[in-house]
Amino acid sequence: MSHAQRAPQSPQTPQMAEPLSTVADTVIRAVRGALITAAVLIVLALFFGRLFGPLWKSLNVDESFSQTLAGLASLLLPLAVYLALGMGARAHRKRSTTQAAVITIALATVAVAIFYILNTSQGAGAAAEQSSLQFAATQTADGIVVDAIEPGGAAELAGLLPGDVITALRRDPITLAQLESAVAESEPDTPFRLRLLRAGEEMQLTVRTVAVAVESAGLKLGPIAAAWIGGAAVALIGLFGPPGWAPYILLTVSLSPLILGFAWLAVATVSYRTQGLLPIDAQGNVGGLTLENWSFLGIGGEAPATPIWSYAANSLFIAMLMTGVTLVLSSMAGYALSRMEFSGRRFFLSLTLILHSFPAVTLLIPVYLVLLNLGKIPLIGPHIGFNSIGGIALVMIAFGLPFGVWLMKGFFDNISWDMERSALIDGASRWRTFWEIILPQIRPGLLALGIFSFIGGWNAYLIPAIFSIGTKAANLPVYIRTLTGDTNAVNWNQVVAVGVFQMIPILVIFVFAQEYLLNIYSGGSKGSS
Amino acid sequence: MQVDIQNLTKKFGDVTAVADVSLDIRDGEFVAFLGPSGCGKTTTLLMLAGIYKPTDGTITFGERIVNLVPPRERNIGMVFQSYALYPHMTVFGNIAYPLKLKNVSRADQQERVKRVADVMGIGELLDRKPAQLSGGQQQRVALGRALVKEPDILLFDEPLSNLDARLRLTMRAEIKALQKRLGITSVYVTHDQVEALTMADRIAVMNKGRLEAYATPEDLYDHPRTTFIANFVGNPPINMVDVELAQENGQVVARCAAFTVPLDSERVRKAVAHGRKLTMGIRAEDITLGDDAALTGEVYAVEPLGREDMLDVRIGAESFFALATPQQRMRAGDRIGLHIDAERLQFFDPATGKSVLWE
Ligand SMILES: Nc1ncnc2c1ncn2[C@@H]1O[C@H](COP(=O)(O)OP(=O)(O)O)[C@@H](O)[C@H]1O
Ligand SMILES: [Mg+2]
Repeated sequence: MSHAQRAPQSPQTPQMAEPLSTVADTVIRAVRGALITAAVLIVLALFFGRLFGPLWKSLNVDESFSQTLAGLASLLLPLAVYLALGMGARAHRKRSTTQAAVITIALATVAVAIFYILNTSQGAGAAAEQSSLQFAATQTADGIVVDAIEPGGAAELAGLLPGDVITALRRDPITLAQLESAVAESEPDTPFRLRLLRAGEEMQLTVRTVAVAVESAGLKLGPIAAAWIGGAAVALIGLFGPPGWAPYILLTVSLSPLILGFAWLAVATVSYRTQGLLPIDAQGNVGGLTLENWSFLGIGGEAPATPIWSYAANSLFIAMLMTGVTLVLSSMAGYALSRMEFSGRRFFLSLTLILHSFPAVTLLIPVYLVLLNLGKIPLIGPHIGFNSIGGIALVMIAFGLPFGVWLMKGFFDNISWDMERSALIDGASRWRTFWEIILPQIRPGLLALGIFSFIGGWNAYLIPAIFSIGTKAANLPVYIRTLTGDTNAVNWNQVVAVGVFQMIPILVIFVFAQEYLLNIYSGGSKGSS
Repeated sequence: MQVDIQNLTKKFGDVTAVADVSLDIRDGEFVAFLGPSGCGKTTTLLMLAGIYKPTDGTITFGERIVNLVPPRERNIGMVFQSYALYPHMTVFGNIAYPLKLKNVSRADQQERVKRVADVMGIGELLDRKPAQLSGGQQQRVALGRALVKEPDILLFDEPLSNLDARLRLTMRAEIKALQKRLGITSVYVTHDQVEALTMADRIAVMNKGRLEAYATPEDLYDHPRTTFIANFVGNPPINMVDVELAQENGQVVARCAAFTVPLDSERVRKAVAHGRKLTMGIRAEDITLGDDAALTGEVYAVEPLGREDMLDVRIGAESFFALATPQQRMRAGDRIGLHIDAERLQFFDPATGKSVLWE
C-alpha cells in the first residue's frame, strides 16, 4: 500500500477538484453499476423473450429473432456485470491501483459465486433427469456388448441379457456413441427397436427409455476455477482497459454464436461426423477427419457422374446474366423514370412497386407456359425456353427488375439536374451525358445492385428448381437439393461441404463489397414518385 | 453576340413560369435578371441555354433564331448556383470536358485549360477532385469550365449565393472585371439587388414571370416605374405611405391618418395633376433628421450597420426607415424631426401600382 501513500503527493493531485474516493465509495459505485447493468440486461431479455415472443408468435412472425436476443442478453449478463464491476472501480485507480485491483477481484469473486449458485439451482431441475435404457455396454468390433443390466430397469423389463451384442437400431448399424447420444436426446418412453445377436442368433427387442435421476456431480472445481479466472480477467479488463474497449468486448462475445456456427461448418466438411465442434469417427472417438465430403471436387474419393463444375458453371451463368441484364435495363429505365416526363410514368412506377411485392410463387404456372412457348421460337428458342440457362435467367431478371429499376431511380433522383444541364451545355449528347456524367456518379449504386443481383442469381433455388429438369440447367442449390433426396441416406456432411463450396464466392464478394451493399439501404431509399 | 428575346413564354402544364418577356441584349453587354425567388429567372436563362424549349416567342442569337437549336450548338458557357462540377473528374477533367467534347487535341486541351486555370488562379488545383476544394475554388473551376471554350454568351445562375459575404464581394468584382476584359455578352441571374446594381449594365426586373422593367441601375433606382421595382431595388427598402394630396393655403400638403406635411416640388405638382389619392415613396437617404421639422416621430428601433445607423421611426401608425450617423447617437424612444426631400419623392397610383411620374 505504499502506492496509496504516495498518490496524494503526486503533482496533479492538488488540482483535482474531486475528492479521492474511499474503498467503501468504490465498492458501492461498482456494485451499483453492476446491478444497473444486470437489471438493464434482464429487462431486455424479458422484454424480447417474454413480451415480444408471444406477440410475434401470435402474429406468426418468426420468433427466433426474439429468442436470439433474449439468449444473447442472458449470455452477456455475467460478462457485462464483471465489466461493470471493473469499470465502477476505475475511479479508485487515482488513489491506489493495487487497492482498485483487489476490490475488483473481490467483487468479481462474489459475482462469480452468485452466478454459480444461480446456475446450479436453476440447472438442477433440468439436469436432474435424463433418458436412459439402464444398461452398461462396451463397444467391440462385433457390436455393442451388453455388460450389465440394472435390476428392475428398462432393459431388464424388455428382456435384454448381459452378453447380448447390439448390432443395429432398426435397420441401421449403430455404435455405442451413437446409441448413447440418441438415447440422451430422446424423450422418456421413446421406443428403441434394437437388433441384436444372442448366442449367435439374430433377434429384435424394443426397449423403452425411462427418465432416471442423474446424481449430482457435486462441486466441480474445474469449471468454477475457470469461471473465476474468466470473471476476474474480464473485471480487470473493465478496470484497466481503455474506456472505448467495453463495447468491442461485448460485441465480440455476442458474435460468438455466429462464429461458432461458421466454425462448425468448417469442421463438419472435413469430418466423418461431428459431436459439438469435435470431429468423430465411426466408432465415436475423436478423429475421423476425411476429405470424402469433398469428393465432388475430385479429391478424397470418387467424383460424381456429373461434375460439380457443371452445376457451378450453370450457377455462374445465371448470376452473370442476371447481373449484366439487370444493370443495363435497371439503370436505363431508372434514368428515364427519374428524368423524363412521359405519359404512363406514374402508372409504370406504381406497377413496378406492385410487381416488386408480388409473390413470385403465384406466377410460376403462367411463367411456365410462357417459357414453354418461348422455347418454340426457332433458333433462339432452346436458349431462352424451359429447361435452359437463358430461360431461368430471364425469369429471375423479370422478377428482379422492379427492385432494380426502383433502386436506380432513387440513385438518379439524388443527382442534381444541373449536372445534365451543365453537360449538355458543355456540348455532350444525351447519351454521352448519361454514360460519362451521370452513370459514374451512381457507381456505388451500380455496384450494389450488381453484387445484389449476382448473389441472388448465384444462390437462386426456386426458379432453377422449377424450370429445369435433370442436370442440363441445374445450378448448385438444385444440386444440393438432390443430395438430400428421399431415397438414399443423406450424408449431411457432404451437403455442408457443397454448401460451403457454394458460399465461397459469396464470402469473397462480401469481403470486398460490403460497403457498397450498404448503399442499397442508404442511397436508394430516398427515391420517390 | 447580341441577343434578342421576343414575347418569350414558357409554361409547365398549367404553371406559366415566364410570360411574354421581350428584351434585347447588346454585344458585350452585362445584363442582370433580378427578381424574387420563383419569378422565372432560371427558366428564362435555361431557355437561352437551350435546355428548355420556349412555349412561345423567339430567341435570336445574332441573326439566327435559336429556339430549336440544341445547347451544344449555341456556344454558351454557364455557371450554376450549385456549380454542377462533375465530382468524378479532376479539376483538369472538369475544365477540359467541353474541349474534349469538341474533339480539341490533347495538347491544345492542356494548353487552354492551363491558360484558363491561371486566369482563374486555380493553376495549382488541377489534379484535385471538386470535393477537395473550398466553395470559392469550386466557383472558380465552374467559371473556368464556362470560359474555356470561349463562349459567345456567358450565363450565370445565382453563382455567388453559396459563398460567404466576403468572398462574394471579391468574386463579384472579379467576374465583373473578367467580363469587361473579355467582352463576352453575359446574362446574370440574381435575387440580390445589390449584386445586380453593382455589376450590371442593364437590369431586367422580373415579377411573377413578367418583365417589370428593363433599364440601367441608375434609372431603376431613380425612376422606378412601379411600386414593385421601387420596393425591390434599394436598401433599406423604400418607405411607402398612402397619402391624400390636397391644396391648403395655396400649398400642397400630403395627408394621412398619422400626419399632415406640406410638400413643394416639381414632382409633387406633377403628381397632384394626376390625382389626389396616391402612394408616396421616400427613400431612407432622402430623409434628413433635424429638430425644427414639420414632421416629428419617435425612434422605435436602431440597427447599427457600421458606417451608419438604420432607424425605424414611427409617426402614428406609419413606420419609416431613416439613416443616421453613429455620431448622432440615436436611441430608441428619442423624438426627432424628419425633413423630407420633396424633389426625390416617388408617387404611384395605388390601384395599378404604376408610377405617375415616369412612363
Ligand atoms: N421543370 C419545371 N416544371 C414545373 N414547374 C417549373 C419547372 N421549373 C420551374 N417551374 C416553376 O416555374 C416558376 C419559375 O421558376 P424559376 O425559373 O426556377 O424561378 P427563379 O429562378 O426565378 O427562382 C416557379 O413557380 C417554378 O415552380
Ligand atoms: Mg432560380
